Amino acid sequence: MSGRPESERSDWTDLDLLTREEAHGRLLTEIADTDVRLAELGADDEAERELLQRRLSALHEAAEDLIGPTGPTDQPKN
Amino acid sequence: MPLQPWMKLLSTDDHLIEPPRLWTDRLPAKYREAGPRSVEQPRGEGRSPAEVWVYEDRIYPYIGLNAVAGKSPEEFGLEPTRYDEMIPGCYDPKARLRDMDLDGVWGALCFPSFPGFSGHVFLDGKDRELALLCVQAWNDFVLDEWCATAPGRLIPLVIMPMWDVDLCVAEIHRTAAKGAKAISFPENPAPRGLPSFHTDYWDPMFSAAEETDMPLCLHFGTSGKPPKTAEEAPFAVTITLFGTNAMYATADLLFSPVLHKHPKLKIGLSEGGIGWIPYLLERADGTWERHRFYQNVNQSVKPSELFHKHFHGCFIDDRFGVEVRHHVGIDKITWECDYPHSDSYWPKSRAYAAEVLADVPDDEVHKIVELNTRRLYNLPA
Repeated sequence: MSGRPESERSDWTDLDLLTREEAHGRLLTEIADTDVRLAELGADDEAERELLQRRLSALHEAAEDLIGPTGPTDQPKN
Repeated sequence: MPLQPWMKLLSTDDHLIEPPRLWTDRLPAKYREAGPRSVEQPRGEGRSPAEVWVYEDRIYPYIGLNAVAGKSPEEFGLEPTRYDEMIPGCYDPKARLRDMDLDGVWGALCFPSFPGFSGHVFLDGKDRELALLCVQAWNDFVLDEWCATAPGRLIPLVIMPMWDVDLCVAEIHRTAAKGAKAISFPENPAPRGLPSFHTDYWDPMFSAAEETDMPLCLHFGTSGKPPKTAEEAPFAVTITLFGTNAMYATADLLFSPVLHKHPKLKIGLSEGGIGWIPYLLERADGTWERHRFYQNVNQSVKPSELFHKHFHGCFIDDRFGVEVRHHVGIDKITWECDYPHSDSYWPKSRAYAAEVLADVPDDEVHKIVELNTRRLYNLPA
């Protein structure tokens, strides 16, 4: 086995995780983009409008949750 | 648009962050202190303590990889982090599913984080009995909790107790019986101090993988040998050269006895793109044509034939690879998302995939984003 402790090695160091703040920012951008797409729809795009409105609602909900309580529970499993 | 709404995007390379009680909930009482535990470590005045893993007497500073709150692309770095700084989809499977839905992604194969992408952290375990229990605990978490949240969407990948090939065989059969679909293994075991692909050491494990029809997933970086040209070279050099690790792994296996002795073994290259594949195969075939006679390599099968029989590659945004897809092999390409790493396109992965695949015929897109992955990992529609 390697003589070098694993604690001194890592897989790859460019692979940052999405943080809450970064993810929140991405969601806000997507919400703004979706708003624009909705505004551009014509009267006969009802199906597309419904899809986009559903997506918009899910995006808002996810964005709100990201600024809410945080972290996994530390309680032991039963 | 070639990416049709009814096509299900299946990602062959995503990641999960182990929740803090993964091991303490599963290890026997006598091992709970020595097994991996999440503990707080001061980060200096005015900052919340970092959460780090402690395993035996060693501290592993990154619970995820390198999450840094509020970072900009210029600030990607190596700081420790906390669970409350990362998005819940990293460690909570229900949150993961919601994030996948927002992203237009149906399925995901998730690699470990703290154990290393191929579980090699447990090679450092001083207590081998504990190390084996730790490997089994990770696999049980993935099978019983993570993937059980959404069978068919979260695809179970397992890690191996790589210090003992017989234990690997037993773990493959144990986890296959519980529904495992893939095995994470180092892209090159030799730099980890393990026997190389050019020995017969791994044969029983490769046979077990064949018997259970589980592919080996070689995630780039799992050899522990990043491409680095000089100590002073900026990290951009290493990032640019990441795909070369997949080239090393491919050439290594193509000229090893492994694929000749294990005709049903399947290999999934996880990360690294696909655009390099036609060049490497041309080069490997040319080498084989000219130089096979005086070397200990198979004399009858071309490397490119072996590749097309055994390998799959994957990509996120390899536009050149998509352009030369017929040289790669349209049945050999899968799609990856790389959530929750910040180089993923979440929550626009589906939209981005549609853009990259805009000039590809529908039937080929369907193979790339869904059908090839279903065939490789035995995932029924």
